[in-house]
Amino acid sequence: MARVGVFVCFCGANIADFIDVPAVVEEAKKVKEVKVSVLYKYMCSDPGQQMIRDAIIQNRLTSVVVAACSPRMHEKTFRKALSDAGMNPYLLEVANIREHSSWVHQKDKKAATEKANDLIRMAIAKSIANEQLHEISVPVTKRALVIGGGIAGIQAALDIADARIPVTLVEKSPSIGGRMAQLDETFPTLDCSQCILTPKMVDVASHPYIELIPYAEVIELDGYVGNYKAKIKKKASYVNFDTCTGCGACTQKCPVKVPNEFNMNIDKRKAIYTPFPQAVPNKPVIDAEHCTMLLKGKCGICAKVCEKGSIDYKMVDEVIEREIGAVVVATGYDLWDPKPYEEYGVGRYKDIITSLEFERMVSASGPTNGVPLRPSDGKVPKNVVFIKCIGSRDEAKGIEYCSKICCMYTAKHAILLHHKVHDSHAYIFYMDIRAAGKGYEEFVKRAQVETAATYLRGRVSKIYKKGDKLMVRGEDAQIGQVVEVEADLVVLATAVIAPHENPALARLLGISYDKYGYLSEAHPKLRPVETAKAGIFLAGCTQAPKDIPDTVAQASACAAKVCGLFAGDTLKKDPMISTISNEFCSGCLNCVKVCPYQAIVTEEIPLGHGSKELRTVAKINEGVCQGCGSCVAICRSMAISLAGFTDPQIINEIVAI
Amino acid sequence: MITLGLQDQNTFLEAVNKKSGANVLECYQCGKCVSTCPVSGYMDFPPREIMQMIKLGLKEETMMANSMWFCLTCSACSGRCPREIDIPAVMEAIRHLAIEENYRSDNKKVKEIRKFHDIFLDMVKRYGRNYELRMMAEFNIRTRNLFKDMHLAPKALLKGKITIGHESTKSAKAIQKMYKLAGKLEKGEK
Repeated sequence: MARVGVFVCFCGANIADFIDVPAVVEEAKKVKEVKVSVLYKYMCSDPGQQMIRDAIIQNRLTSVVVAACSPRMHEKTFRKALSDAGMNPYLLEVANIREHSSWVHQKDKKAATEKANDLIRMAIAKSIANEQLHEISVPVTKRALVIGGGIAGIQAALDIADARIPVTLVEKSPSIGGRMAQLDETFPTLDCSQCILTPKMVDVASHPYIELIPYAEVIELDGYVGNYKAKIKKKASYVNFDTCTGCGACTQKCPVKVPNEFNMNIDKRKAIYTPFPQAVPNKPVIDAEHCTMLLKGKCGICAKVCEKGSIDYKMVDEVIEREIGAVVVATGYDLWDPKPYEEYGVGRYKDIITSLEFERMVSASGPTNGVPLRPSDGKVPKNVVFIKCIGSRDEAKGIEYCSKICCMYTAKHAILLHHKVHDSHAYIFYMDIRAAGKGYEEFVKRAQVETAATYLRGRVSKIYKKGDKLMVRGEDAQIGQVVEVEADLVVLATAVIAPHENPALARLLGISYDKYGYLSEAHPKLRPVETAKAGIFLAGCTQAPKDIPDTVAQASACAAKVCGLFAGDTLKKDPMISTISNEFCSGCLNCVKVCPYQAIVTEEIPLGHGSKELRTVAKINEGVCQGCGSCVAICRSMAISLAGFTDPQIINEIVAI
Repeated sequence: MITLGLQDQNTFLEAVNKKSGANVLECYQCGKCVSTCPVSGYMDFPPREIMQMIKLGLKEETMMANSMWFCLTCSACSGRCPREIDIPAVMEAIRHLAIEENYRSDNKKVKEIRKFHDIFLDMVKRYGRNYELRMMAEFNIRTRNLFKDMHLAPKALLKGKITIGHESTKSAKAIQKMYKLAGKLEKGEK
């Protein structure tokens, strides 16, 4: 015979003002299984919990109903109270009479009281069918996989490795460093980007706990939290990294010239190349699309000049496997192509460039040795117009969101322009100046006051050519007049967009992404680092546009999450997950389709007892299942049952209404 | 349409900054001055726009504006300016520049205000202080509006706000010296 205890909470005035709590307590006593029914002002407080513990022991209760706030709030609190009294914590039921009754029916106390009675009766009935459940233990492989070697991936890898957890860092290009390596100086302090980044890159390469795999991609991820198996494709570099000393003789002698993507195609690199002089690892790779030896079988100069014999034209892609427990995704961002801005003459006028092209030009190690030059005639520009929100906040041509970093880097570009070309003048067309961050507003003021950059509030309507100048027309809303600037160079602050590989990567990892291709976090405010899939975390711009400080902070947060996950030898998991009965499973596999966590796999079992013929049934992966119940609802043969929400429990609830 | 970038737009800005001691570049166009100013409604360009025009180097437009002549130098704007810009000093500076470089607005009110200033300074130069009755008379004659505010004269006389015959000042000579010195300084500066 079930012995149920009912504990009704006032929640101060939150519940008591709108529900007749004493009446509710009396009503609960009418149910014959209820042995105790009491009330208290704050049931979650220590005296309240003590009341529950005492009642469990004194009345030898078999289940407990707490009528209070949402289980999201205090289910854990009360479960612990049950455990402390020696009772299985899953014998608790919470009747949510605050959010579901007193808060939403404040105008009708009688109805609110009746609804509370119903909710409590349902909880009592359900609790009678509750079963003892036990936390599931899952083993953990203590190795993290970091995808992407930009500043986000570097920071996450270093922080995890510093906690003496092995990390595998996979980077698709030949060197780590990412976008930050392309930057000259960084706002708001004008730190040299290379100076603060390259030491970290070297740390990655030399860290005993980091395995760096450059020029590679993750092509498969199987398993579940703590027990993933990743397949990594190492692209053929045609250079044996083990013997190569990085002397650079091959890149010097190579006769094939290719546009240099690291310098935004402003200059050329060779077909065998290292992306930039400070690359880590500082070993060249052969660009198979352009190497004449690989394309036509002629040339072979690099092999001839290599003293170590490290060049291997026969090298092929290699797939390696790693067992890992957690994944940090840090694939960064791309830049929007401004081609749709035809009214600006993008593509027609050579002297319209993008911000990253400008950044490379003003970089001391860039293709123009730190001086911005007009692409048309190679002259140093005097009047430079910067146009913000190119593609950003433009529903017609680009994307709806704000790219977040352009206001700041454009202010930086105005300052850098002034540093590099003293008699120049910067004109900045803007819609708003968004400078929210430590030292950011002050930095913009520096651009406006010290550098005397002219800020013009308005979107440029058109650009046309007049002689060798570009006439940039827009409104200055500050004085309500149309202005035209005679410009030597126009710099477009193009929008930050998600890497085009993101959707494919998201499908491969089994995580979700938004309409722009950014990978989705589990909760926009309270779980910004986790994905909906346990053990996969997000760092940097792959989740949303953000600047370097925010990226580094999120990367370190990822590391903390990974370390937390690996803190014990096993992972504890909520036992409220699905189980499938093989006898009833018809093998339709509809459950596989609806599972949002890819937690259901297939299994071959004998057709009958001792039979040699096989049939396919669905099987739940305990490590992955989050207990959402989608499979239970779709299963035609009622073969699936969700612990804590079994059919008898639900039916009991319905009968009690 | 205004064309920028043809010449160095900072020349005018620097002249204003030098003369006023303020830095117009500090202005971030919040408009608090405009809503504070008691006479901004009468100006063709309220203070915020004047600041932006100076920044853009729009010298002609700024010099021909009526704003600086309407400015009362009450300093309500600068008292509330979040960037602590001395806006009345900027207005004063562009008044000076307009006189120095002989910019003359056709606006009737501006003409009157400038005459008023001239007559006032003349009174002080002559008598060492203001001689109200004569000032009123001269202003009315020079603006060709003989009977303007005449109805106020009896009341003002009775209250002692104006007097018949001027009161002499002991230091009239000293003030005249100051005028001479200022004149010399101004020429020296030019």
